[in-house]
Amino acid sequence: MNRRSGYGSLSVKLLLAAFFIVAVILPLISMFSSIAGTDVKAIFTSARFTTALKNSLLSAGLATLLSVLLATALAWCIVRINIKWKGMWTLLFTLPMLIPSISHGMGLIVLLGSNGVLTNLLGIQGSIYGLSGILVGSVMYSFPVAFLMIVDILRYEDSTPYEAASLLGIPKWRQFTAITLPYLRRPMISVIFATFTLIVTDYGVPITIGGKFATLPVLMYQDVIGLLDFGKGSVIGLVLLAPALIAFVVDLMNKNRGNMSYAIRPFAPNRSKGSSAVAYALCIAASLLVFLPIAAFAILTFVVKYPLNMTFTFNNMLRTLDMGGGQYLLNSVVIGLFVAVIGVVISFATAYLTARMPSKSSRFLHLISITSLAIPGLAMGISYVLFFKGSFLYGTLAILILVNLMHFFASPYLMMYNTLGKLNGNLEAVGATLGIGRMRIIKDVLIPQSRGTLAEMFSYFFVNSMMTISAVSFLSNINTQPISLMINAFEAQMLLECAAFVSLLILAVNLVMKGLIYLYKRKTQKGMEAK
Amino acid sequence: MEPLKDKLVVQELSKEFGANEVLHRISFSVKDGEFLSILGPSGCGKTTILRILTGLTPATSGHIYKDGQEITHLPPSKRGMGIVFQNYALFENMTVLRNVEYAIRLQPDLKPRSREIAENLLEMVGLKDHMKQYPHRLSGGQQQRVAIARTLALNPDVILFDEPMSALDVDTRLILREELKKIQKQFGSTMIYITHDQEEAFALSDRIMVMKEGQIQQLDTPRNLVDHPANEYIERFVLHNIQLKIDSLIQYVRSEA
Repeated sequence: MNRRSGYGSLSVKLLLAAFFIVAVILPLISMFSSIAGTDVKAIFTSARFTTALKNSLLSAGLATLLSVLLATALAWCIVRINIKWKGMWTLLFTLPMLIPSISHGMGLIVLLGSNGVLTNLLGIQGSIYGLSGILVGSVMYSFPVAFLMIVDILRYEDSTPYEAASLLGIPKWRQFTAITLPYLRRPMISVIFATFTLIVTDYGVPITIGGKFATLPVLMYQDVIGLLDFGKGSVIGLVLLAPALIAFVVDLMNKNRGNMSYAIRPFAPNRSKGSSAVAYALCIAASLLVFLPIAAFAILTFVVKYPLNMTFTFNNMLRTLDMGGGQYLLNSVVIGLFVAVIGVVISFATAYLTARMPSKSSRFLHLISITSLAIPGLAMGISYVLFFKGSFLYGTLAILILVNLMHFFASPYLMMYNTLGKLNGNLEAVGATLGIGRMRIIKDVLIPQSRGTLAEMFSYFFVNSMMTISAVSFLSNINTQPISLMINAFEAQMLLECAAFVSLLILAVNLVMKGLIYLYKRKTQKGMEAK
Repeated sequence: MEPLKDKLVVQELSKEFGANEVLHRISFSVKDGEFLSILGPSGCGKTTILRILTGLTPATSGHIYKDGQEITHLPPSKRGMGIVFQNYALFENMTVLRNVEYAIRLQPDLKPRSREIAENLLEMVGLKDHMKQYPHRLSGGQQQRVAIARTLALNPDVILFDEPMSALDVDTRLILREELKKIQKQFGSTMIYITHDQEEAFALSDRIMVMKEGQIQQLDTPRNLVDHPANEYIERFVLHNIQLKIDSLIQYVRSEA
């Protein structure tokens, strides 16, 4: 490395570090310091808080268990069993990731509420409101994330230890306890913590279907939105930070397994007829679970008034658009595109510095880049309110762009960090001796080779900005509100058909984005393989 | 035969990474057109020497001269040196031809002839038929040939190799060895070759520099290393290891019969 590029990279590093400090660290400090003025002890000992804490732990614990079990079963079907249409199943299982958590709660009301589609169809008694509703809704909201993580874990397990064990005559159940469990333990702990964090910090599902069963995020939401009690909100935000922080640390510790440099031998899928049949049954059941709420949204949207008047109509759509739906959709798309473009640029620059120019300052930059993993959206939102209130950014679309950017920064950053880390480490050195500068290597060699990852990052930023309801809920106003927040408003006004339409709309926009990304990736891949 | 000029002169070169001294006041010179191997176990500092010579890593102290000019602080591209890495480091998104042509096209005076130059180089390494292919379609040996052709593109007079054959199988190594010698003859380039393989060093080199823990143990011709090993280290780790290989080979052949 010559001296000039050394200074260049240093100044970029300083710039990025300053950005992260303003966009993440300082707001968090504001949140911590706002607690100083509140009676923390009184909050912690109040019956309202302790009940909500117990409710949160109970519901999130149970939902995590169910979610991870379901995700493991489905991932096993996809990776280890010989079934057809694996791509289609994967797409179906991950559809719930494209709609806000609040839609999952609402989907259950539409299906199983007192006037729900299934309630009427099957004559079901009893109420879905409360713990049972939260469990089902949380599982639907979280299992796709767990599913994708577990698919990765199973896919990258090496089959050679099993072959060696079979040759040595070690029975199957001993292979399971001696090879499978130790291999799965660490990554599964990561999955469990991540899933638990996702569920316990979400307010969308419990606020719609929780009824009187209040959880901590709901409490926080009510304190901040309803009572404007930021101090109390901060205290709860801090409590919500704990599981995310633990998940973050556990994950960091688990990641240090060292790079697997040896070639792994993937498993040949189980070809027995019985296991395929079970796998198909499971996949179909899970697809129904995913598909039913979406179907119900469609029914609600396109009939005049379910279940009283079942005539087909576009009126609900038009009415929603009349009530500002068009404007809010535009807000969301604008926010999503800005987050995606800026996010891809910043995360690429950061990942380049941390993955390809390792140094002490790079390690600091890496750590600060992934801290957003440890900050739940609600906590991020309230910290932004406290830090940016009164600044020129407050009340603009820009602050929503910024908060989403930081909220969703870590995952796309890590995608690029991994991609760039895998590319040959000597490319810049070869360039340097041939008179090809660093920037040229980036432009002509590294970017063309990471196009797929760049597209994935773009899509991740956009899709998550479209569906998020947590960080943005405290920061938006009547002009800047993204469309995902309309679901809550419509649901509160009992305009379920409008809320259903908004959910469908978000799903449709995200599907279009996913489709475009898919086509783009296929095109670039074909281009590479053509010759 | 007229006495050969010094191509490179290295004086008192040291490198520290923090408190860790990787190279300790190393001095040596390389003759014009010489094939010099640097032999040593991993961690002996041989790769660090190569990175400092090419300017990829700055030295802590010491001087490097090429053709009598000090180049210690020149950027890598101004040193007229090429480098070939163990893992090829090819531009995977470019065809074989593009890989070789890329650097030439960035030189305004060479640009009009870039295609011709690149094709000639590929012809020389026997890959002209593969020039439209992408690197991932080629074998390891072929990829390393592309890397060599790419290095030759700007006609460097010193070429450095960082264990270029450790990822290749034995047959390919033997063939590539011959080709390296041929290329050296054709271009008259000075070659510095890093390896931990004693046999390779002895087969290829005019002189061998044996290193251990950041210091030169002996720098001499293969013949002199055998006849007059400078110390116990050379005897035990260089000569003894080769002897072991030969012995086990003989034993193997006998047991087969």
